[in-house]
Amino acid sequence: MHGKTTTQLALYGAFCLAILLAPLVVDNAFLLNKYARYLVLAIVAISLSLSWGYAGILNLGQAATFGIGSYCMAMALKLKTIPVHTGPDGLPDFMVWNNVTELPWIWQPFHSLPFAVFAGIALPSLFAGLIGWFIFGGRITGVYAAIITLAVMVVLNLVIVDQQAYTGGFNGITDLAQFEVGEVAFDAYSASTYYLVAICLALTLFLALVITKSKVGLVLQAIRDQEERVRFFGYDVARYKTFVFMVSAGIAGIAGMLYTIVMEFASPTFLSVPLSLSIVIWVAVGGRQSLLGAAIGALIVTGIQGALSESEAFLDTWTLIMGGLFVIVVLVMPKGLAGAGEILARRIFSSQRSSSDRAEVGSAVERLS
Amino acid sequence: MSSQQLLMKDVCVSFSGFKAISELNLTVRQGELRCLIGPNGAGKTTTLDLICGKTKITSGEIIFNGQPIHRLKEYKIARAGIGRKFQVPSVFRELSVRENLAIGNSRDPGILSNLFRYGTGDAIEQTEKLAKLVNLEDELDKPAAYLSHGQTQWLEIALVLAQDPALVLMDEPTAGMTAQETRKTAELFIRLRGQHTLIVVEHDMGFVRDIAETISVMHQGRLLAEGSVDEVSQDPLVREAYLGSGGIGHA
Repeated sequence: MHGKTTTQLALYGAFCLAILLAPLVVDNAFLLNKYARYLVLAIVAISLSLSWGYAGILNLGQAATFGIGSYCMAMALKLKTIPVHTGPDGLPDFMVWNNVTELPWIWQPFHSLPFAVFAGIALPSLFAGLIGWFIFGGRITGVYAAIITLAVMVVLNLVIVDQQAYTGGFNGITDLAQFEVGEVAFDAYSASTYYLVAICLALTLFLALVITKSKVGLVLQAIRDQEERVRFFGYDVARYKTFVFMVSAGIAGIAGMLYTIVMEFASPTFLSVPLSLSIVIWVAVGGRQSLLGAAIGALIVTGIQGALSESEAFLDTWTLIMGGLFVIVVLVMPKGLAGAGEILARRIFSSQRSSSDRAEVGSAVERLS
Repeated sequence: MSSQQLLMKDVCVSFSGFKAISELNLTVRQGELRCLIGPNGAGKTTTLDLICGKTKITSGEIIFNGQPIHRLKEYKIARAGIGRKFQVPSVFRELSVRENLAIGNSRDPGILSNLFRYGTGDAIEQTEKLAKLVNLEDELDKPAAYLSHGQTQWLEIALVLAQDPALVLMDEPTAGMTAQETRKTAELFIRLRGQHTLIVVEHDMGFVRDIAETISVMHQGRLLAEGSVDEVSQDPLVREAYLGSGGIGHA
């Protein structure tokens, strides 16, 4: 039990060290940006693993909270750009094109970057809290809960596309300033942005690990196993589920903000069905009951996806190949890569033990003869 | 406060017109071990469901320690001090026995305090004592899914004891146990008597004879008779209710 936790900590630490040291090997701004993008997606995967893998809440709308975070950051960075067409008042360009004459109140507070960062975590959490209160308070579970999360995301996406004057509509929010903290500017194509993402990934990974190791994590797993039973021990199941749903959304919000910094725009495609389902696939491939597995799943799948879609040979077939790989992984490794790794480790460990047992028996036989 | 810990007054429940319980009146004293018996469909499990809040009553009142509890949510009833063991043993199969017991130990069920509680640490001694009590001390780190049926029953009993409720509701605790296991369970229950109030629903009359102080007999959603084993088995109404199933001894 104790040994297992130590091994786990070592693995998590090694992973974080590896991603933090990567820029020493990679000295190419374009690649660093690409890898930073993959790491952001790994953070989203961690957030889904927390709610799906540990509490059994399949959130098909995880991209919704990711998108809210990304828009929060984009709004703040948009207000920091030097406006080209609007003179000293500094209305964002797309508002001018939409005949908006004054900065809407909802945009006002985003003049402050600290507020935007706070909102990028708090708004997704509140949003998830509201939906969670409705779903879990009403004891909606399983497929029905999943469908509601999907529907809510689609609605949010439509609202953003529809409210073009305030959100940039289909085009999203583009032409952003760089994210700056004090003297440090985070250019999307630089090691500093990569480090920012990597450090955030490491922090969220360990934050999520701490939660799953606490008794709250244990209660959540019990809820995943037998939700009905947990109530009769006096745990407020709806509150526990809403809590993990909110934490998961907050982490997705952080990832969304980082995504805006790395991609240099925000778009309604960030809270779309394809991205949301991709997140589910990464987590399933990596192993939903392992935070690290989910992160690695995201890195591997998006990595392969990137490599295939960029190579000429697979230009037409890469989606098919991805689909095939996904089917194979789910069929052969129902608990994902993490589950397969665990089984492999156990097998190696037990074969070592049995060979040492054999050696002992052998020496005992020798002594007897 | 009166020694009447649980009071059910004129409790009725109907499922879309079918009266599962009608005008049930039941009082249980503090520290008592009460057995609830009756033919199939008499409403025994439903009665336990009503007490622990799994099913809501249609009319009547359920008073626990002087407080009405029939409008509370399940988790609040549990926090008030009522624990339940289900007919189909319900444990957390993916978690180890030790983790199961940690869930059972729910004196502090809030999120905030549990965020800062790690491992199964703070009650190791109690966990091991409980595990020993139900003969699971060698299985602590096994997933509960690997336990035999009888062991699963015992684990759920241990979970309820870890919760340490004032009133324990046991639904067929010996179902699927061997004769030897049943005897051990009887010993355990006799030891629990006095510390906890117990309501036990059971079909195994041998077991009931071993442990019972007072028996309540239910039939078609009503309380038919109440008394000691001998009184109840002499009761003509009870004999009639069990007619055709060969009398109370073979129920």
